[in-house]
Amino acid sequence: MDLKTLCELNGASGDEHAVRKAILTASRLVCDDVHIDRSGNVIAHKKGASKDSPRVALAAHMDEVGFIVVGHTEDGLLRFRPIGGIDPRVIVSKWVALGDVKGVIGAKAIHLQSPQDRETVLDYKGLYIDIGAKDKAEAERLCPIGTYAYFDVSFEPFGEGMVVSKALDDRVGCYNLLRILQNDYDCDLTVCFVTNEEVGLRGSAGAAFAAEADIAVILEGTSANDMGDIPERFKVCSVNQGVAVSFMDRASIADRKLFKEMLAIAKEQEIPHQVKQGITGGNDAASFQRAKKGCRTVVLSVPCRYIHSSSSVCSLNDVDAQYALLDAFLKSREVK
Amino acid sequence: MQIEQFLREVTFLLGLSGNEQEAARYVAKAFEPLCDEVHMTPLNSVVGYKKGTGNGPKVMFAAHIDEIGLNVTKIEEDGSLRMGSIGGVDPRILPGMRVRVHGRETLLGVVGAKPPHILTEEERKKNYKRDDLAVDLGMPAKKVKELVQVGDLIQLEHRFVELKNGRFTTKTADDRACVAILYEAMKLLQGRTHEADLFFVATSQEEIGANGAMTAAFAVDPDFGVALDVCHASTPDAPKEATSDLVGLDSAIGPFIQPVLRKKLMDVAAKENVVVQSSVSPGRTGTDADVMGITRAGIPMVLLSLPLKYMHTTVELFDMRTLEEGGRLIAAFSCAVKNTWEDELWT
Repeated sequence: MDLKTLCELNGASGDEHAVRKAILTASRLVCDDVHIDRSGNVIAHKKGASKDSPRVALAAHMDEVGFIVVGHTEDGLLRFRPIGGIDPRVIVSKWVALGDVKGVIGAKAIHLQSPQDRETVLDYKGLYIDIGAKDKAEAERLCPIGTYAYFDVSFEPFGEGMVVSKALDDRVGCYNLLRILQNDYDCDLTVCFVTNEEVGLRGSAGAAFAAEADIAVILEGTSANDMGDIPERFKVCSVNQGVAVSFMDRASIADRKLFKEMLAIAKEQEIPHQVKQGITGGNDAASFQRAKKGCRTVVLSVPCRYIHSSSSVCSLNDVDAQYALLDAFLKSREVK
Repeated sequence: MQIEQFLREVTFLLGLSGNEQEAARYVAKAFEPLCDEVHMTPLNSVVGYKKGTGNGPKVMFAAHIDEIGLNVTKIEEDGSLRMGSIGGVDPRILPGMRVRVHGRETLLGVVGAKPPHILTEEERKKNYKRDDLAVDLGMPAKKVKELVQVGDLIQLEHRFVELKNGRFTTKTADDRACVAILYEAMKLLQGRTHEADLFFVATSQEEIGANGAMTAAFAVDPDFGVALDVCHASTPDAPKEATSDLVGLDSAIGPFIQPVLRKKLMDVAAKENVVVQSSVSPGRTGTDADVMGITRAGIPMVLLSLPLKYMHTTVELFDMRTLEEGGRLIAAFSCAVKNTWEDELWT
C-alpha cells in the first residue's frame, strides 16, 4: 500500500476504522496470522525459524491528530476540540471534512479585529467550523456531537524528494511496517499497528502486554525543527539527513545496546542516519518497555517538519532509510 | 458558461494587485462575446463596453479583479523565504498553508513557524507575525536561489468548495465574486434593450489603493458609477452593526453614496423582488466607490455589496443564490436607467 493512500485515509484516535480496515487487508495479503485485538490494534504475527530466536515486536501507530464536534451555535456553526495536540494557530482558514460534509475553520476578518485580537491566539473555545448550515437544527442533524473532523488536504510531492501531507506522523511507520511484513526473517515477529497513540499511548499498552517481546522497535514520525528561526540547540533532527535514532525521549529510554547496534548497522551498511538530539516527544516505546516483565526498546523516526498540522513535510529518502535500517537490523546477529 | 464555472476558474488565476494580467486576460475573453468592445487599460483593468440605444447616460460598473497575496522579500541561508504582504493578508491564516511561489517555475511552498514546544509560555499566547514565518520550498538553498528571486509573487492556497445550502468557499471571492455578478448581468442583458451606455469594468489594484478604478474611471468618463464589492457577513465573533446577513445583497448609505441613485437601485430591487439589505458607511466605504467619487469632475456613486464571511482568507464564504440575484439586479437596473437620470439627482 502506498504512502499517499495511507496518509489520505482519515483516522484520528478513536476513529481509526478506515486505516485499520486498509491495514488489515494489506497485512492479510502477506501474513497468515493477523487479528484485531481488544484495543482495536491490528496484530500480525510471523513465527520465527528457530525456537531460540528472540521475540521481536515492531510497532507504529495508525491514529493521527484531528478534531471532534462538541456543540453547535444558534446560527449553525460547529464548536469543536482537538484530538491530540494541534496548535490552534495552524488551523485558522483551513478546509476540513466531516465524513461527506465539507467545512472550513473561519475566524473574524482582519478588518474587524481589534489590536488585541491580532495579538491573542484564538483558542478552541473561540473557533468554529462552518459547513454552510442554515441553523442549529440543520448543523446538529448533519454533524452531531462526536463527529470527527479532519484536515481536508491531499498528499503532494514537494520540493526535491519530499512530500507534504497530513498524518505523516505516523503513517510513515505504518507504511514501512507493511513493507517489512512482506519479508521473512529468522526471528519471531509481532507487528503491531496500534490505536490511540496521540491521546496517551493507549492502544500500545494492550499490544505490548500481549506481544511478550524481548525486543521492540518503534517506527515513528518525529518533529524536525530544522528550518526557519530555530535556535541551533532546538534542532533535534533534520529532514533528508537520514533516519533518526533516539537515545531517550520524554517517555522512554532506549536500550543502550540496541541503540549502539542500530548506529553500527547503519554505519556499516551506509544507511543515512542521525542521532536525534535532545530529549523531546514520547511514543509507544514507553508501553513496550514497561509491559509485563519489561522489554528492550529502541525508536527509529522519520523527521517531519510542521508535524501535527495540515501540511507536515518529510523526505522520501528518510522514509526509505527507516525501512532499510529496520530490515538490516532484523537480519543482524542481534536477533538471530 | 455557468456563473459557478466562471468563478471556479477565475478565482484560481494569478492576479495579485499590480500583476493582474492572467486573471484580466481570462475576464476579457469571457466578456468579449457579451459586449460590443473589450479593452484593457495600461494598469490591467478590463473594460467591457455595451452600447445603449440612445441618449442614455454612461454608467460604469466596477468590481475589482486583483487579489491579496505575498511576495518574496528575502532568501535566507537555509533556503527559506521571507514574505512581504500585497494587500492585507491576515498572518493568522498563514502557518501550515500551502502556497504557490511564482519563480522561474511555479513551486509549491509550505509556510512554517517555530513549533510550540520550543516557545516560551508567553510566546505561545501570541499569534505569529508575518516576520516570524517563512516559506519552505523543500529544496537546498542553492536550488532555491536558482529558481526564486526577491520580488517573486506568492499566491495563497486555492480551493473552490461547495458547502451546504448553495454556499461556496474559495480564495478571492473578494472581489471576483462581484466580477462574476457583472458577467451574469451581461449575460442577462443579451437581447434586452437599454438606453444607457454600459461599461462593465473589472478593476485592478483595489487592494493597494484602488488605482485601477481611478484610472479606468478617468478613461471611461462615466456619468455615474456603481461599485460592487464584498462586505462582512455576520459571524458570532463580529460586531452586529459591522455585518450583514449572508443571504441577500447589501447597499450602503452614507456621505460617499449618492442617495437618489441609491434609491433608484433599491426601487428596482423592490420591483424585481431582489433582497437588498441596508447598512451604513459613515465615511469611506473601503471600495472602488471612494476614489471613483472624486475622479474627474466627480462621479456620483452607488455601492452594491455581496456579504462574505472570513474576508481576506483562503476560505471566503458566500451564498451563490445571492450572487445570482446580484446579476439579475444589475441587469434590471441597467435597463431602468433613462436619459432623465440627472433631473432629480439633488432634489
